Parts: sequence; structure tokens; C-alpha cells
Amino acid sequence: MTAVIERERRAFLTGNEVVAWAALAAGAEVMFGYPITPQNEIMHYWARLAPRYGRKFLQTEDELSAGYATIGAVLGGVKAFTATAGPGHVLMQEALAMAEMMRLPVVAIITQRGGPSTATVIYSQQEVNLACFGGNGEGFRLVYSVAGLQDLYEYTLKAFGMAWRYRLPTIVLGDGYQAKMRGPVKLFDPARQGIDTGMAAPFLGAAGTPGRERPPVHLRNTYNLEEELLAVVEEQARSFEQVAEQVAEYEEEKREGAAILLVAHGIVARAAQLAAGRLRRRGKAVGFFRPVTLRPFPETALRRAAFEAEMVLVAESAWGQLERLVRASLSGSEVPVQAYRRPGMGITPEELEEELEKILAARKSSGWSRGDEVAARAADATGLAP
Amino acid sequence: MSIARIVLGGEGGQGVQTIAEILAEAAYRSGLEALYIPNFGVEQRGGVSLAFVQLGDEVVAVPKFRRAQVVVALSDRAIQRTADYVTRETTFIYEASAAVDPSFLPREAGRLLPVPAVKLATEHLHPRVFNVLILGTVVGVVDMVEETALKAALEGLLGHKFALKPELRELNYRALGEGRELALTA
Repeated sequence: MTAVIERERRAFLTGNEVVAWAALAAGAEVMFGYPITPQNEIMHYWARLAPRYGRKFLQTEDELSAGYATIGAVLGGVKAFTATAGPGHVLMQEALAMAEMMRLPVVAIITQRGGPSTATVIYSQQEVNLACFGGNGEGFRLVYSVAGLQDLYEYTLKAFGMAWRYRLPTIVLGDGYQAKMRGPVKLFDPARQGIDTGMAAPFLGAAGTPGRERPPVHLRNTYNLEEELLAVVEEQARSFEQVAEQVAEYEEEKREGAAILLVAHGIVARAAQLAAGRLRRRGKAVGFFRPVTLRPFPETALRRAAFEAEMVLVAESAWGQLERLVRASLSGSEVPVQAYRRPGMGITPEELEEELEKILAARKSSGWSRGDEVAARAADATGLAP
Repeated sequence: MSIARIVLGGEGGQGVQTIAEILAEAAYRSGLEALYIPNFGVEQRGGVSLAFVQLGDEVVAVPKFRRAQVVVALSDRAIQRTADYVTRETTFIYEASAAVDPSFLPREAGRLLPVPAVKLATEHLHPRVFNVLILGTVVGVVDMVEETALKAALEGLLGHKFALKPELRELNYRALGEGRELALTA
């Protein structure tokens, strides 16, 4: 296949356009989808671009069908993907659970919108539970939470590589803001940057007589015996745990003796990073941690960062979905966790700055603590009053 | 220079998103960092449509913000919906062809800039270029976007219409010019 993007170039695109270009550059051969805002333009751009590159598109009758059609293509060794959001994402979980059971590299782009139900077409981070644990199973899938247009490009490329390498359903978790926002992005050929976008090969229909010339392929999502199922899921769990160590990703900005570790994912992480940086420049001890993979969650790294802090503040455009993952990771520790929850609302750096200042002030008036001493030392060093 | 933040609000169909898209594209083509995000509800028609544009010489990482240097409101409802973004540093541009109840206007705005765009467009140009006239005013106030970039962005979005009716190009340029003049004189 010839490179879709031969020379690296900057472009001014919406997130949905970025996804379509990334899927093309990753060598995706077909997309199955059903319209839902804010995902629609992924389909529109793909449908417009695909014929130019010999790729295909099928609009199915709903998201169940889009998910299963993607599974069908993948079984036949075709690099396929789908995209959806909100109520469509709910339906697609059925197919994703099947992909999980059969360990199939289905790639799904999710553009989170407000929930529950139809709610808003705009934005949220309320599909974290669904993306990570939405099926009737254990959540053995990869979920990359992206934070901006460049991320959207690079993690969509990567999603195909990881899905096919590890045979895991892989979700690129975006949101309505990132889908609709238009900004600069650098497009490049993944092969030239050494990014693996996956080698597709058929799971079914290989040459030779099964059982004689090659081992039989028996992909099942139905089991008769409890013991059988237990053995399969145990094996999947072991495998997922091994994969987890290799693929868990995060981004952090440390602060020695941090008074507060600010944790956020997706586009909120960009606001959090700015807020934490501004406070540090004012001599305040605030660290920043962004889980890039929500599944598997970078537990070890978060524990390490959190244990160095006085407390953790989780900020998200949901009512405690990231917070639950954070609390689970920190179970057994005494680091207190507070939450800044804005379901379905965008979060600005300014409001996080105010929240952090408020917490720091409250802790100071209650006679605390280590972080303030660090802040005072930092302020001395810069000659500024604490 | 840093980042200029602009909120535009209007009734669905007034062309708020078109203004924002051309503005962001023109900023990008001027070599600036730019980020634009539309914001609207589930209505197919009607309802207030908002657009958030940021441009400047710093990377823009977060699509939304709380305070804007320039707020544009093209209807009474949009005036109310955008009021929260106004500060003492804000230039508040509003459609003023019909009388606007002064009690609606944000008192704290640093500068109130009434633009009778519908009236001007209808009398001098064509009602359809009313939003491009507003774009001209915004560009005049922000003063960061290059003229050639602005025309290129306009061409990018409306080029297919210009191809069918070349006189539309000149009409749009004149609308830009009239709008910009209002920013400087009003």
C-alpha cells in the first residue's frame, strides 16, 4: 500500500478529519458506522476520502450492526474500524464484548457526548465506564484517552498497531470537543516514524486441513460448561495483566513534596497541566498526572506519584468515573482524594487554578503542612514573597 | 502578544459558525496558532449557536475559556447567552439594526460596539453578506490577521460559490471592508 501522507505536513483540521486521515494512514481498509453526533464527520470524511485510496465504507442499520460488521471484517483479516458516541456507544458494547471474548482487534473511535441517554450532542467524559467496562465481561480491552488533535492522530495510528499486536479490542476515547474543534496538526507517514499500525491477517480460512496440516482455529463466544469458561477467562486475565505492564501509559509533571497531585485525563488534562504549571510558577507545590491508557490503568505510576503528595485532586467532566479508577489504584493508601466533577461541562485552567488555590488556602488555615514549606522555600529562592 | 479569545453567538442560520471558521482559518494562514470550536444543541434549526475562537502566538491546548477579549452577539438571546464571557477588557460587538433594549447589554464591557450589519448589508450590499460584514468588524478589532490570509480563507470556504458567481467575491470583499471600517470608527 502506498503511503497516504508521503511528506510530513501541517494542516488545519477538525478532530474528526484527523481521525479519518489517521485511519487512512494506518492502512485501515474499511469503516462501518452509523450516524451519531459528534462522530458523524469521521464517517463523512472517510466516505469521501476512502474511494481515492481504494478503501471502503458501509453505513449499517445501527451501531450493533456496525460493531458486528467490524468483527466480521477482522475475522477475514481486514483492518477495519468503527466510530460512535453516547447511546450508539451503549449499543456497540455488545459487539465489543464479543470482540473481547474472541480476542479480536476491533478498533473503535469514541467521541464522548453528554449523558445519560440522548443528553447533549456536545461533550463529556461520561463514557469512561462504558469504554473500559461496558461489556458483560472483565474489560479486557485497551482504552487510550486522547488530549488534543495531535494525540488523536498519533493514538489512532497506534490503536491499530496495538489492537493487532495484542489481539485486543482497542478504543480511542475522544470527546465532542476534540471531534469538532479545528486546529493545527502535523500529519506524517507512520512507517517513517517507526509507528506500528498493525499487520492484518485472517483468523479464519487459512490454507490446509484443520487438525492435520495446521491447528484448528476455534473462536468461541459460547460455552457450555462453567469450568470451560473459567479456564478461558483466567487465561485472558493472565494475558491481559502481562500486556498491561507493557502498554500502560501516562504523562506526569512532578513536584517534589507536592501538596496536591492534580489528576485528569483527555482534554481536561490539558487544562489541568496548564493550571498546575501556573501554580508551580507561583511557588505552589502542585504536581500533574494524566493517565493516557484508562484500560489498563497506569496504577503503579499513579501510586508512586500520589504517595509523594499530600493529597490528590481528580478533575473530570463526569461524576466520578475517573475518580473511581484513581481510588481503586490508591486503595490501601491514606492519601486523601478530592474530586472536581463537572459532568458534561468543559473545564478551564482558570477554574482549576481557583479550586487548587482554595484547597491550598483551606489546608493552610487548618495548620498544615509539608507542601507549604516547599512552596515557601521555592518562593525564597526566587525572591518572591510566599 | 498572547492569545486573543473570541466568543460569537447568534441564532442558528445567522452564520456564526461561518464567521468563526473563516477567522480561525485566516489566523492559521497568518502563521498564528488558532483553535476554533462550535457549540450548539440538538436543534436542526433555531436555537442559539455559539462559536469559540482563540488565536495568538502561543499553542492553544484547551478549546473553551471563561473570559473573552471580543464577544459578538447577533441576537437578543445571544446577548444573554454570551454575557458571562464579558469583562472590563472586552469589546462587545452586537447587531444593532433594530433597537436593542439597553438593559440587555453587559454594562461591564470595556467597549460597546453596535454594528447595524443587517441594515448596512441590505442597503449597500446584499443581506446574505451580513455575517461577512461582522467578520470584518471582528478582524478590525482583533487586528492580528493578515488581509491576504483572510481572503484566502474566504476563498477556501466560499470559493465554490465564487466560481459560479464571480461578483460574489467582490461583494464579500466589500462587506469585509465595511465591517472593518466600523471597528475603527465606531
